Amino acid sequence: MTSDPFTDRLSDYADGELDAAERAAVEAHLAGCAPCRTALDELGAVAARAKALSDPAPPRDLWPGIAAQIAAPTARHPRVSPFRRALSARRFSFTLPQLAAAAVALMVLSGGLVWMARSGDPRADFDPVSAHLEAPEENAPAVRPANFADEHYDEAVADLQKTLESGRQALDAETIRVLEENLAAIDRAIDQSRRALAADPANIYLNTHLASARQKKIALLRRASALASMGS
Amino acid sequence: MRELTLRYDTVLTSGGMTDDVALAAAGDVSAFERVYRLHLPRVHSLVRRMAGDRDTDELTQDVFVRVWQKLGSFRGDSAFSTWLHRLAVNVVIERFRTDTARRQRLLDGEDIFETLAAPSRSRDLSMDFETALTKLPDGAREIFVLHDVEGYKHHEIATLLEISAGTSKAQLHRARMMLRRHLRSDGT
Repeated sequence: MTSDPFTDRLSDYADGELDAAERAAVEAHLAGCAPCRTALDELGAVAARAKALSDPAPPRDLWPGIAAQIAAPTARHPRVSPFRRALSARRFSFTLPQLAAAAVALMVLSGGLVWMARSGDPRADFDPVSAHLEAPEENAPAVRPANFADEHYDEAVADLQKTLESGRQALDAETIRVLEENLAAIDRAIDQSRRALAADPANIYLNTHLASARQKKIALLRRASALASMGS
Repeated sequence: MRELTLRYDTVLTSGGMTDDVALAAAGDVSAFERVYRLHLPRVHSLVRRMAGDRDTDELTQDVFVRVWQKLGSFRGDSAFSTWLHRLAVNVVIERFRTDTARRQRLLDGEDIFETLAAPSRSRDLSMDFETALTKLPDGAREIFVLHDVEGYKHHEIATLLEISAGTSKAQLHRARMMLRRHLRSDGT
């Protein structure tokens, strides 16, 4: 630390950190002090040099060590159990890009499904199917409640698909095509989530999206089954 | 028999899964490797400069492992590079926090330059600017890197390092005063 109070304020002066009175005092000093003017120029050059530093690649490839750690959590990077992570997480926030892998079906359905029925008279629109599970409709076939654990979910899906198949002839070709496209998209999203979870089963984000994709499959099958039942 | 026609609006990500960050967030390790290779030079340089060439490779690996673990929390309200950069700074600072001697030097304020062996190192005028930077005393180097290299403000540095803004300003000035000698020998 120098004993010159003005020299010690030069960085603050260069960075605009001084108030008006302090700045005026430093400027008055600089007018009569060549060494301080030189020092001020040099300090500015240091700051400029720092901003111009390049970022060379390291000489050693660090990826093998990283890949090993993310594949097999170590004591330094322990895997947090889903329960602990759920307790400590304040909220889940996901960007749209992050939904790409497991959310194709979510975006397909989030635009809304508009079912139109014609009976020879002017079309009547059904209410759009929302992305959320709806209360069972009067004509909806009885479905075992799905809690999205594999066993119960698979049974619920099988029940709905069976019901849909039995009333399939009541649906026109275009409806069947759209339905099959949607189901295929959801199944791809479910498969992708499952494969990603195989590598990271504690990932709350992926678990949430798998559950959501399954929920939408159930909702879609229920709606389709209901329409197939009404038409037959 | 009534005819049923289904209309729906579809919103699909353009080209499917083409965003490496999104793919990595979903568990795609190959995509994450591409993210790593793209950002490695900047992250490694940041770590090397802040840590003074000590444990740089290990800390860099720690940064990317943390990125892998935290990808789900990236909300896209800033550029990914900005988010990654801030995470890298936090990883390095967390490592520093375990070093109580280092922490005490940060809090000592103006006594730092009287107690450390910096003068003998800084007399080597043949040292280039980048090398001289890594040889600065710990506290001054961290603050210089954060402020002059990475663009953080003093109040942000004060929060990150748990010091006062005044200490941040004082140490920045000291670092610049020491480095200006190597600017001359650097030919700039």
